[in-house]
Amino acid sequence: MTRVNILLVLATLGSAMYLVGVQYESRRLFTELEKAHREARRLDTELERLQVEKRSQATPARVERVAREKLQMRQVTPGITMYLGRSDAPEAQP
Amino acid sequence: MSRSIQYTASPLLTSRTPVWRSKFVVGAVALGFVGLGARAAYIQVFNNDFFQRQGEVRYNRTLELPANRGRILDRNGLILASSVPAPSIWAIPEDVSLDAAERKQLAKLLEMPEADVAKKLADEDKSFVWLKRQIDPDNAKKIAELNFKGIYQRTEYRRQYPEGEAAAHVVGFTNIEDNGQEGVELLFNSALLGRPGSRHVIKDRLGRAVEQVGETVPPEAGKDLQLSIDTKVQFFAYQKLRDAVLANRAQAGSIVVLDALTGEVLALANYPSYNPEKRVNLSGAQLRNRALTDTFEPGSVMKPFTIGLALNTGRVKTSTIIDTSPGSVTITGATIRDAHPHGALTVEQVIQVSSNVGTTKIAMQLPASEMWETFSGAGFGQKPQVEFPGVVSGRLRPAKSWRPIEQATASYGYGLSASLFQMVRSYTVFSHDGQIIRATLLKNSEPAVGVPVFTADTAAKVRKMLQMAAGPGGTGPKAQTAGYSVGGKSGTAYKQQGKGYGSDGNRKYRSWFVGMAPIDQPRIVVGVMLDEPTAGKYFGGEVAAPVFSETVQQTLRVMGVQPDIAIKPQIVANAVQESF
Repeated sequence: MTRVNILLVLATLGSAMYLVGVQYESRRLFTELEKAHREARRLDTELERLQVEKRSQATPARVERVAREKLQMRQVTPGITMYLGRSDAPEAQP
Repeated sequence: MSRSIQYTASPLLTSRTPVWRSKFVVGAVALGFVGLGARAAYIQVFNNDFFQRQGEVRYNRTLELPANRGRILDRNGLILASSVPAPSIWAIPEDVSLDAAERKQLAKLLEMPEADVAKKLADEDKSFVWLKRQIDPDNAKKIAELNFKGIYQRTEYRRQYPEGEAAAHVVGFTNIEDNGQEGVELLFNSALLGRPGSRHVIKDRLGRAVEQVGETVPPEAGKDLQLSIDTKVQFFAYQKLRDAVLANRAQAGSIVVLDALTGEVLALANYPSYNPEKRVNLSGAQLRNRALTDTFEPGSVMKPFTIGLALNTGRVKTSTIIDTSPGSVTITGATIRDAHPHGALTVEQVIQVSSNVGTTKIAMQLPASEMWETFSGAGFGQKPQVEFPGVVSGRLRPAKSWRPIEQATASYGYGLSASLFQMVRSYTVFSHDGQIIRATLLKNSEPAVGVPVFTADTAAKVRKMLQMAAGPGGTGPKAQTAGYSVGGKSGTAYKQQGKGYGSDGNRKYRSWFVGMAPIDQPRIVVGVMLDEPTAGKYFGGEVAAPVFSETVQQTLRVMGVQPDIAIKPQIVANAVQESF
């Protein structure tokens, strides 16, 4: 009888220690998960920020200015466009 | 006999104690335990809320999960407005201890004068003070690295508008609390906002979340909103308008570009405008979305409706001769004049040269009620269906109250008022086979279903007149553009000043041009308005038509519409290369 009791006490103690360990581990993992979530959110907003940044670097106003000033380009007109493919295009008269 | 206990052998203490005393002590202790037990039960079982709550406050945290405000996109999915994180810096003045150099450094990173920072930190009674909200993220990072005591950050979101002033009036802006204040931001505020979620967690002593309790309410992100606006069209429409306003030293100007098939607004711009990201010293003039909120007398732009009605009811034909000599006509004592006498004109030519007398003579054959119905059917005096903050319906008095002279002036666009937006929409009657279509600011690729005002045949005839008016011998030849046939009507209206229209030499004008292209199968309707041009020229055909021309050219190119009239190619073929 005493031996069984000792065995049970040991088993209880062991299980209690294990529980504490598991609890600790789960909290640690949860914290990690939180951190990862936070990082994901941060990256998300960073992506958004960069997209907006990219967009504001490519606004028509800027593209036009760069095209005109740096690349010496000019506005397209039908006069300097060749229309291909469609038969209903008006024949350009030389 | 009485029992007694002898506690000691000392003779000094041999006096016997009565038994009731020990019983009394036992009873008192027992009572104490009962009291404790009752109290414990009361706290643990019956009235546990208070302590439960106090406990939770110490480790249980509710975290708000912020919902991002939806983005506003153009028709091609390009960003017109989006929220980006922008940290706000706050401080507990009591805890802050900065020396002069550190304060200078902080002020520099906050981009504000050092004196202001000092002032904000001076009040030590406050336990919270914003130093600056929504600063540049890079600067915020630097401030965080400096790690000043008592200075903290909080992530907020700031709206960014990459298109800046070109699209400011359509997109609008939000305030610092992320609520829409103007334009689409205000109009669709609730859809864009979304709903923040929340979750409960248990935090440890280091402030790390270690366990989740209960349910998580996921945040509902704001919906992205796709507008009908095309950023390219919007940009150069704004650019051309701005150039024209500046060149003609006008007070202001507006431009509207409408897709003639779907009723989508491709561009809507006003000048003066503002940068929605830097809204300091904004004036009402800059904020006003004139294309929608300003009404004025349309002037000659109305004439096609009067003529259209006369054609539609068979009262005149396009070739009917109207005698407009001697360039004036008198209706119940009031005289209506043409700028130049024109003699006998066909109905087509009345529109082409924009004769007030000719239009009046045709209008006098029409019943006032029919004219009212046509004008009203074309949207005049009606609230435009496009909802927008501050949108106006203009004014069109009921036909019953029209006196003959009022009917005459209404026929060429005086005595009633409309906004530029209404005018442009009304011209879809001519571009869409006699049917007026619904205008929309949201993307919609379905062809619009119209409400008939005229027959398709009448619309085609009026289109031809509009083409003549925008051609050689018309009032707006400057509206012509390379490669595309255009049609449109210029308007030059006197601005009301007090009770009258000012005297000669002291008049103020509004000049406009509303037209469409390509004229046989219109794809776009464009309206341009300039308010008080003062650089000498003021006729709509002189100041507004060139803007129309350039806008049509660029818009149709962007839309990939092929030119419908022959163009002289300017392509220089490469010279034949010399052979080796």
